[in-house]
Amino acid sequence: MSSKFQYDLVALVIFALVVAFGVPAVMNYDGFELNTFARYLALAIVSMALSLSWGTAGLLNLGQAATFGMGSYAMAMHLKLRASDGLPDFMAWNNVETLPWVWVPFESLTFTLLAGLLVPAFIGGLIAIFMFRARIAGVFVAIITLAFLVAFQLLFINQQGHTGGQNGLTGLAQMSLFGWIVDPYSMGFYNLVAGCLVVALAFGVYLTHSKFGLILRAIREDADRARFFGYNVANYQTLVFCISAALAGWAGMLYTLVLEFASPTYMSVSFSLAIVIWCAVGGRESVIAAAFGAIVVNMLEGRLSDVFVEGWHLILGVIFVLVVMFMPRGIYGLLSESLQKLRGIGRPRDHRDAETFPNT
Amino acid sequence: MDVIANQLFAGLSMASILLMIALGLAIIYGAMGVINLAHGEFVMLGAYATWALQTYAGIGILPALPFVFISVAAVGWIVEKVVVQNLYHRPLDTILATWGIGIILQQAVRLGVGAESRFVKGPDLLSGNTEIGPLIMSNYRLFVIVFSMAVLAATWMLMTRTEFGMKLRAVIQNRAISECYGIEAKRIYSVTFAYGAGLAGLAGALITPLFSTIPTMGTGLVVDAFLVVIVGGLGSLIGSAAASVLIGEATAIFSIVINDTLGRIAVLAGIILLIRFRPRGLFPTETRR
Amino acid sequence: MKRRDFLGSLGAVGTAGMLSTPALLSSAGRALAQGNDIPVGLLFSLTGAVAVVESTLHDAALMAIEEINASGGIHGRQLRPIIEDPASDPATYADRARRLMIRDKCVSVFGSYTSASRQAVLPVTEQRKNLYWYPTLYEGRECSRNVMYGGAVPNQQQDDLIPWAIENFGPRFYMIGNNYVYPKEENNYCKTLLEQYGGEVVNEEYVPLGHSDFSSVINRIRSEKPDVIFATVVGDSDVAFARQYHAAELDPSKMPVVSLTRSEVEVKAIGGEAAAGHFSSAPYFMGHATPENEKFVEAYKSRYGGDQVTHFVSEAAYFQVYQFKAALEKLDPSNITPETIRDAAVGLTLNAPQGEVLIDENLHTHLWPKIGQWQTNGQAEVLIESKERVAPKPYAAYAGQTCTGKGLVKA
Repeated sequence: MSSKFQYDLVALVIFALVVAFGVPAVMNYDGFELNTFARYLALAIVSMALSLSWGTAGLLNLGQAATFGMGSYAMAMHLKLRASDGLPDFMAWNNVETLPWVWVPFESLTFTLLAGLLVPAFIGGLIAIFMFRARIAGVFVAIITLAFLVAFQLLFINQQGHTGGQNGLTGLAQMSLFGWIVDPYSMGFYNLVAGCLVVALAFGVYLTHSKFGLILRAIREDADRARFFGYNVANYQTLVFCISAALAGWAGMLYTLVLEFASPTYMSVSFSLAIVIWCAVGGRESVIAAAFGAIVVNMLEGRLSDVFVEGWHLILGVIFVLVVMFMPRGIYGLLSESLQKLRGIGRPRDHRDAETFPNT
Repeated sequence: MDVIANQLFAGLSMASILLMIALGLAIIYGAMGVINLAHGEFVMLGAYATWALQTYAGIGILPALPFVFISVAAVGWIVEKVVVQNLYHRPLDTILATWGIGIILQQAVRLGVGAESRFVKGPDLLSGNTEIGPLIMSNYRLFVIVFSMAVLAATWMLMTRTEFGMKLRAVIQNRAISECYGIEAKRIYSVTFAYGAGLAGLAGALITPLFSTIPTMGTGLVVDAFLVVIVGGLGSLIGSAAASVLIGEATAIFSIVINDTLGRIAVLAGIILLIRFRPRGLFPTETRR
Repeated sequence: MKRRDFLGSLGAVGTAGMLSTPALLSSAGRALAQGNDIPVGLLFSLTGAVAVVESTLHDAALMAIEEINASGGIHGRQLRPIIEDPASDPATYADRARRLMIRDKCVSVFGSYTSASRQAVLPVTEQRKNLYWYPTLYEGRECSRNVMYGGAVPNQQQDDLIPWAIENFGPRFYMIGNNYVYPKEENNYCKTLLEQYGGEVVNEEYVPLGHSDFSSVINRIRSEKPDVIFATVVGDSDVAFARQYHAAELDPSKMPVVSLTRSEVEVKAIGGEAAAGHFSSAPYFMGHATPENEKFVEAYKSRYGGDQVTHFVSEAAYFQVYQFKAALEKLDPSNITPETIRDAAVGLTLNAPQGEVLIDENLHTHLWPKIGQWQTNGQAEVLIESKERVAPKPYAAYAGQTCTGKGLVKA
């Protein structure tokens, strides 16, 4: 265990150095490239958040996009209020006379930052308690979270006067953080996003190697056995769901800053599935690998769409199929297996059990 | 009162379409535990096959049905042979792989025949309405309801009254032991997957006169079909039928009581509650692994 | 098939161009004067749900660019179209717009169909002071100085339509639209007109985007028995609505659908038989008899296939490229920036397929509204044609607000 922890620490340091210094140097410190890459980094956070609940605890959350969207809208609401004197423009268009009470506290940046983390955590926690108290597991977690996501997005779009509907929130101000105006094309902003990602990853590495992470893995392998040992399985599952949701909210806040608008498509089924794909490509067992997967897939998408304007989706689909067929544990699996072969230690561990649905 | 009767019919019509799509999914999921996210794309292929047959060969929807079934089943068979077959020991990964296949199929169709919405003419035979008092029923929708029930019955017969069905049930219960008895599980799986894909193709053919035929048409359908399968109980044909009627009627009733958007939200909330309190579905099968 | 080969090679050329451009610092100004060609962006979805319509806009705009290049370009310089596929996803729109405006230094970008995608592109467009040519009809109430609006706003589509519909069919309107800002805004404006002309709303209803089963809606329409169905349903939802409306045997002569969004593309998918008898209001229909339109339709068909149709958004996508050309021709070749192009474009007139259009100082376009009735052959017969060109009033529904050459003015 401890040697694995050391590997993860080394990987984390290398990752942090590359992201903080290597990438900007390769990008020539170009504002556009930095902004594009900052987008990938924000998405890496939500991918690593999913790997906590899916990879570590075995709970496939297909509603991750909903919590991501909550964070994103929290930030957008704050910036929208700052951009408008009094009532935001779209509210007047929807015949909303006064600022709705939910909007009022978002005047404050502190509240916004807290809400962007805590609201997703709270909602995620509610769903988790609802599911895990009934010992829902496996594919049913995926379906319930998916149904929740679809309903949440519909409801959100329907409340056009409060949320901006299908268009989302646009015409935002730039965030000012302790007097620093955040310009999404600047090196400073890139460092902010990269810093957030590294902190989130460090937290994730710590968590997966703590006793908490160990218990989560035990639950993943056999929930009943963990229960017999006296662990309150539902509580552990709920907690990891909350943490994952808060991290997703965090990623959402950064995403709004990068793209300068919030859109209900951030809460779509296809976005949620995309997160799952990033996580799988990188390797869901490791938070660093999951983050790496998000960056790789998004870069690939960017490159492919540049070169093959009409066929890029096709190539992407082929790549996913090939990855799943020949790299079942993602890039991480490929690396760790070749590392094990190199060192010639022991039998390769069988991870299949972890991936099958427990039968309820 | 008239509105209620007509809404009940509308709900039944929605249910029949849902059932046609969900049936193939239920069989594939029930038999091999594969979550086939490319199912919506099989529906789309069925719709395009119907369009191609009508446009280039002048074959109407009804006579085209057998061809559509065979051609989409063939695509399903290839997909199973090339990709899915290698993933039976990793059911969760089939989600990702079939998602990739969905993207490939969608893009292939787009590159092949273009992004525009295609027109398929409904059968003249079934145009018009049947009116019983205040109840006005579109003949075509009536036909889809009857047809979906026929397909359900045929599938049930296939599963319970044929040698193939017996073998399939044996493989579902215990693959290793059935293989000991000389059942070729691999072949059974391939045929089952192809059959499920073929059913999706039929569904696609049947909805073309009502919906718009575009490369992305399957994406939205697959989510609903999945909910039907889960609510019905994994792999249970009767469960899927009951769940589609329940969801179809609930959608229709909520739609007049509230509106289409909030109605759909209410239905989704109901589904979540149902799964929470009856995770094994309305009609859980006793035989599953 | 020819189209794809062409696009492929074009993409390759574009890519080669990009790769050879060194990664300049973003502060290095527009590198336009160095190359001899003029980079313009095309940002229409070629994949995803909106591709159904946007691919036709892409085709029309690209055709105009090719025509201009074939006739010698602008001041002897060729236009270099840089094609991106935003895949019907707003976040991807924002990303690709950044590429076009910042990395590729396009002096203008042509793109978008939906309001949501325009909104996604707006932040970077305004911040980088670029110019976005938006060909679609839209809900109005926007007054950006960096967007050239080529489509109709509510007053241009409805001012003639509503009194005409009340007079011919009756005052009871049933409003059905998709659940987003465009239908709501059009309905808002429609209600002010209904009040003025003595109409009434019997029901106002919104379905989610992409909604495809309209049996409940049709049942409601049946029981309400309105005089007019005022429809702002878009894309494949509209196709499904029209087909199911027809299958339910509702009679267009008693209860016509009057649509602001249905064009030749949708009718082609609906089928002429199901669309026949219903109405649309638009500044352009494919059958419009002007020499400019005959040329446009013929060129489009010979390029993309005889079964293709042109429609009121693809027409605007086409003429906006020519407006761009005309603006550039007024400029000194050494002084081409998005802002000079915009200023040169104001007041320009152009013989578009629909008639002579004029760019207002508020950057919207003066158009020729028409009301057409769909025929079984998939074409519209124009019943009413406005006698004069109609000025765009993007804030028509909001008293005291006007969009002017200096931006939005509140009284």
